[in-house]
Amino acid sequence: MLAFPAILAVHAIGMAFLVGACAAMDLRILGFASRIPLSSTDALLPIIRLGFWLNAISGVLLLIGFPTKHLTNPVFFLKLSFIAAALLDTLLILKQVVRKPPREGASVSMRGKLLACGSLVFWAGSVVSGRLLYYTFTRLAP
Amino acid sequence: MMTHYQWAWPIAECLHFLGLCLLIGTVGVFDLRMIGLLRRIPLGALHRLIPWGILGYSINLITGILFLSAYPDQYIHNPAFQIKLLFMTIAGMNVAAFYLTMYRKVAVMGSEEQAPLAARLAGAISLVCWIGVIVCGRYLTFYRPPNYFWCPWC
Repeated sequence: MLAFPAILAVHAIGMAFLVGACAAMDLRILGFASRIPLSSTDALLPIIRLGFWLNAISGVLLLIGFPTKHLTNPVFFLKLSFIAAALLDTLLILKQVVRKPPREGASVSMRGKLLACGSLVFWAGSVVSGRLLYYTFTRLAP
Repeated sequence: MMTHYQWAWPIAECLHFLGLCLLIGTVGVFDLRMIGLLRRIPLGALHRLIPWGILGYSINLITGILFLSAYPDQYIHNPAFQIKLLFMTIAGMNVAAFYLTMYRKVAVMGSEEQAPLAARLAGAISLVCWIGVIVCGRYLTFYRPPNYFWCPWC
């Protein structure tokens, strides 16, 4: 099976760009590198989109390859829940924080900072639960 | 430690993946900006996120050394690991060249400004190397020594 490691590699690259770009945006919202104009981080969206679609496609292929392994593992559904929460959080950040930046000199609202913290936690949860799938599956084939 | 505690290995792996995200999210994004994408973000200001990339790199260096020291033979004779080290060496020399020759110019550049050709090249080399490091890291498992008979140089 030559395709399996290649699909895993694509899944890791997509993860790095998706989670990495979201984390960069979150860190800026939390006040790091504050010389970056908050509204300019909108430019990261194409990277986030690319990472998401790389991983959605490679993820579906991995699921098709080993359906029993994943669908019998509760950690897989935990991972999907983390991803859903992270995506919703990131959408809220884009709509309510990045595209509605505070006035010059003012810091981001507490709500914006909480959303950024949530995003970091949910994306980290997705990565960790994804890695732990290998250690928690009980059945490989039907 | 890595072989005595059942959870040490998976925890170190999770940290290795999180460190990787930090590295690509800061250094990788900075590279993309240098080669000419994401131009709305001021180049000099974006560099302020690099300490988070150094944190990610440090996490991965430490966890990587833990993996290596637990099963050195699995790595030293593994072609995927050897190529990974090659990519890391090139990335390291590229970083040194960037800070020694280009950083001063790049640090003061704002949004919409195009980085000099040498910096664009450094950004491209860095991206290729780190993506290569990820791919080799993912392939490590599949080229552990019992299967390395095909490797022409091992």
